[in-house]
Amino acid sequence: MSVLLAAGVLVALALGIWLGAWFDRLAPALEGGRAAGPMAPLRDWAALLIRDQAETEAPDRMNRLLAPAWYLALAAIGLSVVPVAEGLALWHSPVGIVVWGSCEALIVITVFLHGWSPNAPFPLIGAYRYAAIGLPVMLPSMFVLIAAALPAESLSLIAIVDSQRDSWNLVRQPLGLPLFLVVGLTLTLRGPLDFAGGVDIAGGTSAEESGAGLFLWQVARLATLVAFSALAAAVFLGGPLGPLLPGPVWLALKTALVMALTVLAGRLIARTTPSRMLHVLWVWLLPLSFAHLAVSGMVAL
Amino acid sequence: MSWLRTLAAGAAAPIYPSIGAGMLAEVEQLFASAPGLRRAASPRDAALLLVAGDIPAEARPALDRLHDQLPHPRRTLAWKAGEPSTQISARLNEAWRDLAHGAPSEPDRLPDEPPNPWRGIGPHGQGGKGMMGGTPRGRPMAMTGADIRDGLELDRYTARVGPFAPMLPPGLTLELTLQGDVIVEAHVLSLPFPQPEEADLPALCAARMLRLLGLEGAADRMTRGHAPRAAWIRGAVPAGLGAWPGAGDARDRLDAWLSGRQEGGAPRDPARALPGLEWHEATLLLASFAPGTLRRALAEAQDLQEIPA
Repeated sequence: MSVLLAAGVLVALALGIWLGAWFDRLAPALEGGRAAGPMAPLRDWAALLIRDQAETEAPDRMNRLLAPAWYLALAAIGLSVVPVAEGLALWHSPVGIVVWGSCEALIVITVFLHGWSPNAPFPLIGAYRYAAIGLPVMLPSMFVLIAAALPAESLSLIAIVDSQRDSWNLVRQPLGLPLFLVVGLTLTLRGPLDFAGGVDIAGGTSAEESGAGLFLWQVARLATLVAFSALAAAVFLGGPLGPLLPGPVWLALKTALVMALTVLAGRLIARTTPSRMLHVLWVWLLPLSFAHLAVSGMVAL
Repeated sequence: MSWLRTLAAGAAAPIYPSIGAGMLAEVEQLFASAPGLRRAASPRDAALLLVAGDIPAEARPALDRLHDQLPHPRRTLAWKAGEPSTQISARLNEAWRDLAHGAPSEPDRLPDEPPNPWRGIGPHGQGGKGMMGGTPRGRPMAMTGADIRDGLELDRYTARVGPFAPMLPPGLTLELTLQGDVIVEAHVLSLPFPQPEEADLPALCAARMLRLLGLEGAADRMTRGHAPRAAWIRGAVPAGLGAWPGAGDARDRLDAWLSGRQEGGAPRDPARALPGLEWHEATLLLASFAPGTLRRALAEAQDLQEIPA
């Protein structure tokens, strides 16, 4: 049974990766550009796979290979605690929120290693910038997830989903999902929070990547988008809860919705300079998320 | 793996443009509107090197280094002024299809060896005293110096960016001494290439800043002549960045461009304003002047420096 479930989650992850890549290629239509067809992601990946992986001078080879693998593995681990149907998750962790939180923190380290390993200036700048931004983003993430766990009186995601039978956390805690989207944009290296990359550092941590290495990194980013969206769907939108359709279908639909929201936010919001974003995060976002936790706590009491 | 190659041939052609004199606006318009072309973020991300316009002799060695940074398989295409964009677009698409189907790749133009001999002592060639100092491979080791903003002792390293760096105006080469991404010293080694007046159009100038703000789609839309659809454009540019008497700050200039007005004022010696800025701020500052204005201001400052007092 659990082997079947694991296979199902992996297939869903693979489909989600493709869907996320397609969303990215559909988005230009909103700006009057061309929308690509559903085959476009596969073509772009093939284009990466037929090209060589360029070597840099004196790289940290082990971490260069491991960074995309870690990133992908962390996305898969994060996804494993999400309930796919009522009372059913691949990993029945009593502290699912903590498992996800650890994955978040380790992703920051993974992205740093990705920028560190090619031994080149722009990737290294991307690595340090991302580490500086990642830290203050982890704190609101913790507050938001703890607030969502309060009505359930449990850190288990199965219990958190169960607590949303009468009303979703999105309704009870309206600030939760928007604040968590900031976390999602950071974890998936997108738009206003993609401080690992950017035109000013020629793609940042990926500036020296090509071929299969770049392919793996892009797939890992998309896998993280799927895991983040599934978790957000479970924590704020009731996950597999819903009428008529089976639970996994509801979860898939809600996950796709959060993925689309994340892709849109990533595309339509400008990215400011790193020092200004640090100011926004520490001075505005952190107090806001703390107030959110305090209010949610009082409501739950 | 012929199915993989067939699949790849249908992908958008990944192109890194090296933009010479006179072709800036045309290259920008090509990538904003031609189908099947993708502007690569870095040379490593590209299979085709598009050499647009004339590259002056002094920039040739940099072009050769850039060429060798493209991973195999790769090909170079020249786009001379006068060739219509539909034609070069078709040639680029065809070249990518050929490469994807296994056409031979171009060999390196330069020998694949360090530009300078080892010239160091110790297990890592660090030279100097202990772990510090020395010039392994001709590159000086980073030594600590006081942070330009708060005096904290941090490593300083010197690197050159340009003349074909995607975040700088084409032709501009800067020699930077950095602490992290904070500029401690900046010298202009070569001026931006001259561009026609079309490159100074408000829409194109605004699009360059939007790209630096991570708004690729909005920048393409702006280049095609429509108002951008994005949030927090003005607010994302720090207030007071790149302020000069009579020219406002970078945010004001972006504002003017977004509403279709040419910015008026010019900076005095813009390179001197770079130390103390973080790299992203510096690139925004340079992009907040039209290419023609920036080139004139940098040239004037160089002339001033060459005349003995």
